[in-house]
Amino acid sequence: MRKRQRVLASAAGAATLALVAAACSSGSEGGVDAAIQFLGPEDPAYFEPLIEAFEAEHEGLTVEYTQVPFDQYNSTVQQRLTAEDDSIDVYAVDQPRVPWMAAQGLLEELPEYEEAGRAATTEGQYSTGIHDGRLWALPVWNSTQMMFVNQDALDEAGVEAPGTDPADRWTWERTVEAAEAAQDAGTEWGLLMEQTEYYYQLQPLAESLGGGSGVVGDDMLEQDVSNAEWVQAMEWYGATFEDGLSPRGVGSFETSPLFASGDVAFFVGGPWDLGVFADSDVDWTVAPLPYFEGGEQVTPSGSWSWGINPASPNKDGAKAFLEFAAIDPEGNLASTERQTIIPANTEAAAAYLPRVDELAGERSAGAADLIAHEVENTAVVRPVSVGYAQFEEVMNTAFADIRNGSDPGPRLEQAGGQVEAAWEPLR
Amino acid sequence: MSTAPAATGSGGRATAARPRAARYLRPWWRGRTAVALAFLLPSLVALTLLRLLPGASAVWGSLHHTSLLSGEAFVGLANYADLFANADFRNALGVTLLFTLVVNPLQVAVSVGLAVLYTRRRMAGGKVWRALVILPVATPPAVSAVIWSVIFRPEGGLANALLAAVGLPPQGYLTSPDQALASIIVLLSWIGVGYWMLFLIAGINDIPAELYEAAELDGASPLRAFLHVTLPMLRRPLSFVLVAATVSNLLVFAPVQILTGGGPEGSTNLLMFDIYNRAYALGDMGRAQAEVVVLVAVTIVIVAVQFRMLRSED
Repeated sequence: MRKRQRVLASAAGAATLALVAAACSSGSEGGVDAAIQFLGPEDPAYFEPLIEAFEAEHEGLTVEYTQVPFDQYNSTVQQRLTAEDDSIDVYAVDQPRVPWMAAQGLLEELPEYEEAGRAATTEGQYSTGIHDGRLWALPVWNSTQMMFVNQDALDEAGVEAPGTDPADRWTWERTVEAAEAAQDAGTEWGLLMEQTEYYYQLQPLAESLGGGSGVVGDDMLEQDVSNAEWVQAMEWYGATFEDGLSPRGVGSFETSPLFASGDVAFFVGGPWDLGVFADSDVDWTVAPLPYFEGGEQVTPSGSWSWGINPASPNKDGAKAFLEFAAIDPEGNLASTERQTIIPANTEAAAAYLPRVDELAGERSAGAADLIAHEVENTAVVRPVSVGYAQFEEVMNTAFADIRNGSDPGPRLEQAGGQVEAAWEPLR
Repeated sequence: MSTAPAATGSGGRATAARPRAARYLRPWWRGRTAVALAFLLPSLVALTLLRLLPGASAVWGSLHHTSLLSGEAFVGLANYADLFANADFRNALGVTLLFTLVVNPLQVAVSVGLAVLYTRRRMAGGKVWRALVILPVATPPAVSAVIWSVIFRPEGGLANALLAAVGLPPQGYLTSPDQALASIIVLLSWIGVGYWMLFLIAGINDIPAELYEAAELDGASPLRAFLHVTLPMLRRPLSFVLVAATVSNLLVFAPVQILTGGGPEGSTNLLMFDIYNRAYALGDMGRAQAEVVVLVAVTIVIVAVQFRMLRSED
């Protein structure tokens, strides 16, 4: 054998060993001295004040944040944690998904924070982190929805705009009438939901008519999404697209630029939009979320909690960061410095809400009182069920189809069957 | 014909120069087999770690069912039975087969046409046109999807603006159950055609010019020259392109996830997306792995049929 051949063959063998070694290594640097790895769907800039404040208070600890786009967030987290990915220490979990994640063993139990966690927030918010009587995640933010009103569009149409007082809350029927008038007067779109196909924003439509959340039963693993009220709510929703009040080709969270550019008369969004629309030239105001005539006045609620990956090699650091962000009012407030969102921490919320009124001058006046009223009086929670993740995925797909023209009755019947099939492995 | 005997002769002389017994006493690990094995080892290890083991793991997982209450249990072929009883899976299988039947012939036919156009015909700005056809290959799939989402937007999109310019009514494209799959096929062809064309251009450039000269002397029209010279001589690159395009298109995922989420009404729910959705959105790993096995089986069957159809007579 030639010497050169032997050298090359040895190199090939060495490369193989390296390949095997690389495949067998964990790929994680872990350890208490490593940076705390934090995963979420938000813009990294939002967390700069929080991370800076945490690092200033906790010498030797650092945090690195990684953003995963909102649309892919839940499935990406599920995929990575199922594979026991130890490069995540702390991660954001949508509150109704806590039971599902905990049941799969993808959240670290947090017994040491039961007392402090309960004291730091409202009972409703604290309960979102509970599954099977144990604590798995701590709430960081809360939310509600309100209606943004394009005053210029309504002035053109000669329609008097709704005020911020919940006592003068409009109905959906009245809103559609005013939206059509605004379109007749030249505004391109009458009414637009920010999250056109997400359960979070569409649940109140059915709830307002008395259709319930769509999940029933003692174990919250029975579906009820095709009752008459749900069908009626979705027929109304589908008609807003069919009749041209809303555009079909604009996806969830791509909608706010349309309102900011003055092309929409009524926009349904969250407190975060107060900050987003502050830079807009449109003369807008806020109004309570409408309800169906004769129905209940309801608004969405809940937001993100944060939890710890059981495979994290840095649980002490992760717990320190979670405690600072959720239980410490200063840390919780810092998490809202660069975005408009309601802190889940009661003390932080009290300090934060007055700022909301000043975000956009006159235009956002009254927003703080409105948010406080809705959180206290009209909020409905998403169903707390170990099958929520599957339920939400199926329903979001059904909402997208209804938006695109599917007949709501048969489509909701189909969704019900899909939910039952998806829940079968959970039983 | 002359090199093989010479090589054998050379080898024979080298053997004759050494004691015959020494050749048989040499340990196997110092022989040619060991060297060949050493060179093959990285590929074999990579193949085993990255392909065979995950494949075996999928087959094993497909025979198990995981429940939050009862844990993991061996269920034999029950996951497969459940899958075929599931209307969403049957729809995904049907959509994937329809998609495969349309997208592959379409992409290959357009690629052949463009490859002939850019090699056999001199045209003004030919290189620029060729570069423009190839350009989408270098565009990340997510960016391509975003570009086409704007083009296909029912309200104010470029496609409907063009239709309006010629007096045609607006279409729903990605929001219409009847048009969404066709819209995805257009997007994928925009990306794929340029890539497959490169292989076919290389194949056409390898065809001896004498064959075309002889065809021309015999009075063959360009169409007859294409049918009787170009196509037969392109059989090998064409086989590769057809098989590679088929496999590639069966694995399409990103545009579906970004643009349609499998809808409207499941009209773009290709198997790859259905697998991802079942595994990571619904958390049903057992059936998702059974679906992976079905997808691999479908791919093997389709590719085997294609190889048989394109098998060279010689």
